[in-house]
Amino acid sequence: MEYALSVKDLRVSFYTRRGVFKALNGVNLELRRGEVLGVAGESGSGKSTTGLAIMGLLPRNAKVSSGSVLFDGRDLLAPLTSIRKFSTGRNESAIRKLHRELAPIRGKRISMVFQEPMTSLNPVLQVGYQIAETLVIHNPSLLASRKLARVRATREDTTALLKVIKENEGSETAVREFVESRHLKGLEEQALFIWRRNDINELRKERLILDLCCEKVGSTTKRLLESLEGGMGITKAPVLSRLLRRVLFKEGYRKAVEFLSTLGVPNPEKVVQMYPHELSGGMRQRIVIAIALINNPDVVIMDEPTSAVDVTVQAQILELVKDLKRRVNSSFIFISHDLSVLGEVSDRIAIMYGGRVVEVGPKEIVLKAPRHPYTTMLINAIPTLDGREIRGIEGEAPDMRNPPPGCIFNNRCPFAMDKCRKEEPPSYKVSEDHYVACFLQGGK
Amino acid sequence: MLIAARNLTKFFELRGGLTGKGAVQAVSDVDVEVREGEIVGVVGESGSGKSTLGRLLLGLIAPTSGEVLFDIPEELLQKYDEARSANDKKTMEEIASKYSITRKSGRELRALRRRMNMMFQDPYSSLNPRWRVEDIIMEPMVSTGYLTGNEARKRVRELLEEVGLPREFAYRYPHELSGGQRQRVALARSISTLPSFLVLDEPTSALDVSAQAQILQLLKRIRERFRIGLLLITHNIAVVSYMSDRIYVMYAGKVVEGGPKTSIISKPQHPYTVALISAVPGNSRGPRVILRGEPPNLVDPPKGCHFHPRCPMVMDNCGWTAKEVAEELEFLLRGRYYGMLKEGSKVVPQGELEILVEGAKAEEVRKVIEEEKEEVKSLRSIYEVREGNGGALVKLMRYDIPGMYRTDEGREVSCLIYRKT
Repeated sequence: MEYALSVKDLRVSFYTRRGVFKALNGVNLELRRGEVLGVAGESGSGKSTTGLAIMGLLPRNAKVSSGSVLFDGRDLLAPLTSIRKFSTGRNESAIRKLHRELAPIRGKRISMVFQEPMTSLNPVLQVGYQIAETLVIHNPSLLASRKLARVRATREDTTALLKVIKENEGSETAVREFVESRHLKGLEEQALFIWRRNDINELRKERLILDLCCEKVGSTTKRLLESLEGGMGITKAPVLSRLLRRVLFKEGYRKAVEFLSTLGVPNPEKVVQMYPHELSGGMRQRIVIAIALINNPDVVIMDEPTSAVDVTVQAQILELVKDLKRRVNSSFIFISHDLSVLGEVSDRIAIMYGGRVVEVGPKEIVLKAPRHPYTTMLINAIPTLDGREIRGIEGEAPDMRNPPPGCIFNNRCPFAMDKCRKEEPPSYKVSEDHYVACFLQGGK
Repeated sequence: MLIAARNLTKFFELRGGLTGKGAVQAVSDVDVEVREGEIVGVVGESGSGKSTLGRLLLGLIAPTSGEVLFDIPEELLQKYDEARSANDKKTMEEIASKYSITRKSGRELRALRRRMNMMFQDPYSSLNPRWRVEDIIMEPMVSTGYLTGNEARKRVRELLEEVGLPREFAYRYPHELSGGQRQRVALARSISTLPSFLVLDEPTSALDVSAQAQILQLLKRIRERFRIGLLLITHNIAVVSYMSDRIYVMYAGKVVEGGPKTSIISKPQHPYTVALISAVPGNSRGPRVILRGEPPNLVDPPKGCHFHPRCPMVMDNCGWTAKEVAEELEFLLRGRYYGMLKEGSKVVPQGELEILVEGAKAEEVRKVIEEEKEEVKSLRSIYEVREGNGGALVKLMRYDIPGMYRTDEGREVSCLIYRKT
């Protein structure tokens, strides 16, 4: 099977003044195309570190001692794994190299949604600017062609376009064909967006589609946009780049409005002009999701996206994620400490403990018939609405600076055997798609 | 009755600003009760006023109005309630002056501190990092004069065992402990003077589920052993439903529903409670209700029922004002019914219950309202549209403010649906 992304035997440790903190101890994860993979675990289990490592967002005291993150046929963490002996200086230059290599991927092909939307948005920039920014950086040619399409189109073109939309009832392929035949690429998504709005009446829609034409731009701007559309980067010439950027950001705002309205943001025209502090928690989280998704990434990593919001808003966000899963063709990694949240959105769930994936499988099986003792105990510790008796897990999570030998869970496991204290259990396949790292499940 | 709050209200005054004064109406007109040895859960989203309520009950902040009656005999509380419904200020005053903690002097209040205590959410900031565990647990005993020096030290050891920590922990510092262990220390501190009333403000929200389960079990055991009345404040409905005997649901500073746990969880009555319980992930009972929007700004809360703008079952008299209706009407007239509103004309609210649609015909506006009533619920409050003042004059129904209505055994709901006429 082909994976959207796979993590192989990833080991990451952090060098601190108080010892080496072994955050990840051989994480194996495969993300299939189009699925939502839930990653659960308590604090310190390494679930967030896994997310950050995939993005290459590691601090300079992090050492990747082995493993790889395979995406699109290449190892994203290659510059870091090549370091043999750890030193901050060597690591720093490797991380700088990593950032350089990953810059075109981050935000475009792999993107991330963080927990606290107030800290992941820039407080002094309008949210529209922040959405537009990802477009201008990663996809300026799209913005250029959108703008140019409106410049090139004549009233006659849009009238014909409207007719095509009406005749085919907004079918995407028909509109695309028409637009291509007239060399007006970039117009189709704007027209279809207007057509699909349901807060305005037909008359207004027709009017707006007809108005997608005859825009005027200065000849310099036009030339700049054309070179951009032709595949050149944004020019670095001093005055010109400023001019071009201004046009692109303006177009980015337009696209942001369209995108936000598909995420169920009411009144997006006003919202893009606002600053993060003016928005409520749920709305901010939608903005962050918009930034992550606007470039149609292959992989979206969501790190506790609902932990900072209230239950009713959480329900809205989860509903949105479920809807996105149907609509866009990205694959999602959804990290959360709350198993019931994962039960809502994921296809498969991976349970992490002590920097390892202890169990992974389809969500129904992991939640209803778990096989690893930790998963069972974790599920029994969660209070539910029916008020059934809960049981805490005795003991404390091990100190990851000095993890016990053998299975990382052996000091709290009621079934621990001698073998568990000596050897690390491999991942056993217990049924189709269901893997458990526990000696009880095999290896007699 | 261990503790009973009546018409408890707290407005936090806003300072500064050019537009003049305002107040955050954190808690408005709330009645709650906790009996001896009972666990009462308070659930609500952030900003619903649940933490403020807990602090008011302990007298940590002074209420704007209302009474907190501590240790009041059942008969007297009943007498107070009767006097309140009869509007007999004299009797109310008489009882309140004796039992209300808001009337107590500093010295009397300090004596009461021994009998009530609080446990906080964040075990990382509620324990002094420079004190040893022993000193932390000892402090309330010494400062209230409950025990002195060596007796208190001895008691610390007993308390540590009570909360499931080894005696040697007395000499440790908070940073040496894990989150769950710290919260046990905080619990030992809060029960050190054997209080009869304890407020737990999100005691497990900062913990992992495995530690949370341990603390919750411990709390249940402590309640059994010492018969402490607990007020458990949390946003986690599952925790409340596991722990409490009774539940209060708060929304935007008001208690919207209260009653025994089992009946509220299995049969919520207030539309907000219905939505709240259905929003719990993994809950499979009934269809999911997704609320629109977010909790209101409490400086200027919605009129009538605070929940009406988000309520899926909202009726015509739930609190719609001209401002809200005008906004939705204008949105419709500029969007779906584009062309009805002339260029430059507006939809202007006039006072609380009247709206002027400039330059529009009453007949047309009426048609729009008829057609959209089903979907745009605010339009239901319109009872008349007529020509006037150079446009269509839209008149709204007067709204009602919901009171607390008794439904079945021990249940109270603050929703007009349950008003008996």
